Amino acid sequence: MKGRPILGTLAVLGYIIMIVPILFVVSTAFTAGDALTFPPQGVSLRWFGEALAYQPFVGALLSSLQLAVVSTALALLLGVPVTLAIQRGKIPGKSLVEGLFLSPLVVPELVVGLALYQQIMIGLHQTSFVALLVGHTVLLLPYAVRVTGASLALADPAVEEAARGLGATPLRTFFSVTLPLLRPGIFSAGLLSFVTSFNNVPLSLLLQSRQFRTLPVTMLDYVQQSYDPMIAAMSTLILAGTVVIAIVAEKTLGFAKIFGGINK
Amino acid sequence: MTTAAEFTGVTQAYGDTVAVDNLNLQIEQGKLTTLLGPSGCGKTTTLRMLAGYITPSAGTITINGADATRLPPEKRNLGMVFQSYALFPHLTVADNVGFGLKLRKVPATKRRELVMANLDLVGLAHLADRKPKALSGGQQQRVALARAIAISPSLLLLDEPLSNLDARLRVQMRSEIRRIQGETGLTVVLVTHDQEEALEMSDTMVVMRAGKVMQTGAPATVFTAPANRFVADFLGYENFLTQSDGSLLTVRPEHLRVAAAGVVPTTPGLTVAAVVRESVYRGVDHIVTMTATDATGTPITLVSTTRRDTLTADAGFQPGDLVTAQARDHEIVRLTSEN
Repeated sequence: MKGRPILGTLAVLGYIIMIVPILFVVSTAFTAGDALTFPPQGVSLRWFGEALAYQPFVGALLSSLQLAVVSTALALLLGVPVTLAIQRGKIPGKSLVEGLFLSPLVVPELVVGLALYQQIMIGLHQTSFVALLVGHTVLLLPYAVRVTGASLALADPAVEEAARGLGATPLRTFFSVTLPLLRPGIFSAGLLSFVTSFNNVPLSLLLQSRQFRTLPVTMLDYVQQSYDPMIAAMSTLILAGTVVIAIVAEKTLGFAKIFGGINK
Repeated sequence: MTTAAEFTGVTQAYGDTVAVDNLNLQIEQGKLTTLLGPSGCGKTTTLRMLAGYITPSAGTITINGADATRLPPEKRNLGMVFQSYALFPHLTVADNVGFGLKLRKVPATKRRELVMANLDLVGLAHLADRKPKALSGGQQQRVALARAIAISPSLLLLDEPLSNLDARLRVQMRSEIRRIQGETGLTVVLVTHDQEEALEMSDTMVVMRAGKVMQTGAPATVFTAPANRFVADFLGYENFLTQSDGSLLTVRPEHLRVAAAGVVPTTPGLTVAAVVRESVYRGVDHIVTMTATDATGTPITLVSTTRRDTLTADAGFQPGDLVTAQARDHEIVRLTSEN
C-alpha cells in the first residue's frame, strides 16, 4: 500500500463498505431489547436462544444443510469426470463443451427455476426437494468443473504418463495419481458449492413447498412479517458457520490456493 | 548386434503435419543411442511412440522382437525419465521409486531393499523419506532416474533429461548417466537437441530433421564425416563451399586459417581469396568473419576461429583487409549430398 495512496484508500473504503453492515447486524443480534435498532439496548444472548428454539428456522436449517450436502456431492460426482474429459480427453470442440458446463452461471436462475417447476414438479409430479436438488446441482456444476479444472490444468500431465509407464492401468492411474493430485481442487470446489447452495435464494424461493423450504427463504419470509432481533441472531449464526468453514479452508489449503484458480 | 527395439516404416502424422516420416531405426541392445536434432525434428515423437504414449499412424515398432506397435505403455515395461521429471508430488521419494515395484506386487521387504539399492545407485538413499518438493532439480532428476530403473526396464528412455539443469550440473549428469548405464547394462535411448551432449554420451547417434533420419553412426564417425549439409551445420561446421563440379566441401571454423593475401600455404589444401568483414576477440579464441565467392560465383561467408595462444603476431586483421582463407586437405570434409 506504501506509495499508492489512491489504491490504498479504495481498498480501505471497500473493506468498510463490506464490513460495516455486517457489524450492524451482528451487534443488534446481541441486544437485550425487543426492537431491531442500532445501537442495541444492553447485551444478551436471548435472541440466539429464541432463534434456535424457533421451529421453522431449525427445520429450514436442516433442509438447507441436507440440500447443500447432497447437491454438492452430485455436482462433484458429475463435475469431476467432466473436468477430466475436458482437460485430458481427446474430445472435439473442447471449449464448446466447457462453455456448456459453465452456462448455468449466465442463465438467469429464475428461468432455470421455472423450467424445473414446470417439468419436474408439475410434469413429473416430483417433490420440491427433487426439483431443488436438480436445480442446485446444475447451479453448482460450473464451480465443480471450473475449480477442479483449474487444479488439473496446473498438474503436469507427464505425471499420469509416468504412472502408466511404470505399469499402472488407466483406472489405477486415476485412483493412485490423478485423484490425489485433484484432492485440493475437489475440496475447494466442494466448499464453494456448499456455500453457494446454502446461500441460494432465487431457485429455492421458486421451488419451495410447504414440506421443504430452505433457511434463506424462511428468513426472507419471516422478515416480511415481523421485524425483531431474532433475524439478526440467525444471520449471525450463519455468519459464524461460514467463518468456521473459511478458517478450516484456510488451515487446510490456504485461500489463495482455493480462489486463485477460479479466474484463471 | 542384438536389437532391443526396431522401427519399421513408422509414420506419425497429426492432421497435415508429419512429425515422423517413414522411420526405420534399430536400437542396439546394451548401448546408448541418442536421437539428436532441432526442435520439431520428430525425436520426442519417436521416443513417445516407443514408450507407447503415441500410436503411429503407420508402420510397426517391435520391442525385443515382439510387435509392440499398439501395446499400451503399462504393458511395455520401459523406464521413462521425463523432461519435467514427473515425480508423484504426493508420494515420498521411496514411494516414487517403489511405485512400479508395488504394481508388480513385489513384497514390501524386498521392495524396500530394491528401492534403497536404486536410490543408492543415484546417490540419494539419505533422502528416501522426503517429498519431491523438498528436493533440488538435480535431485528430482536422479529420483526420476531411480524410479525408471527400479522396474528393471527392457529399455530406459530419457526425454531431454538434462535440459532443465544448470550448465555445471548438466555436464556432471552426463557422465553420471553413462556410469549408471555401464553398471546396469541397460539399453538407453536419449533424446536431446544438444550436439555436445550427444557426442559425449552416445554409442550411436541418430541425427534427425523434419521427421527423417539424416545420419546414424558412432559420434566420431558422424562428427568427422557428416553425411550432408544439415548434419554438418548442426555439428558446427560453418564454411560451405560448392565446387565447380557441383560437389560440396565443408571446413570447421577452427580448421580455417587466415593469412595475408598472397601467402602460399606450405601444405596442400584449399585456398580461397576473401575480404575480412569482422574480427572479434572472444577470450578463448578470436573469430574472423570473411566474405568470399565460391567456385560457382556465389557469395559466401567464411568463419575462422583461432585459439588465442596459437595466434601469431600478424593475425590482427582489420575489416576490409584482403586475405586468403586456407585449410589443409585432411581438414576438408566432402559432403555427399546438399540435404
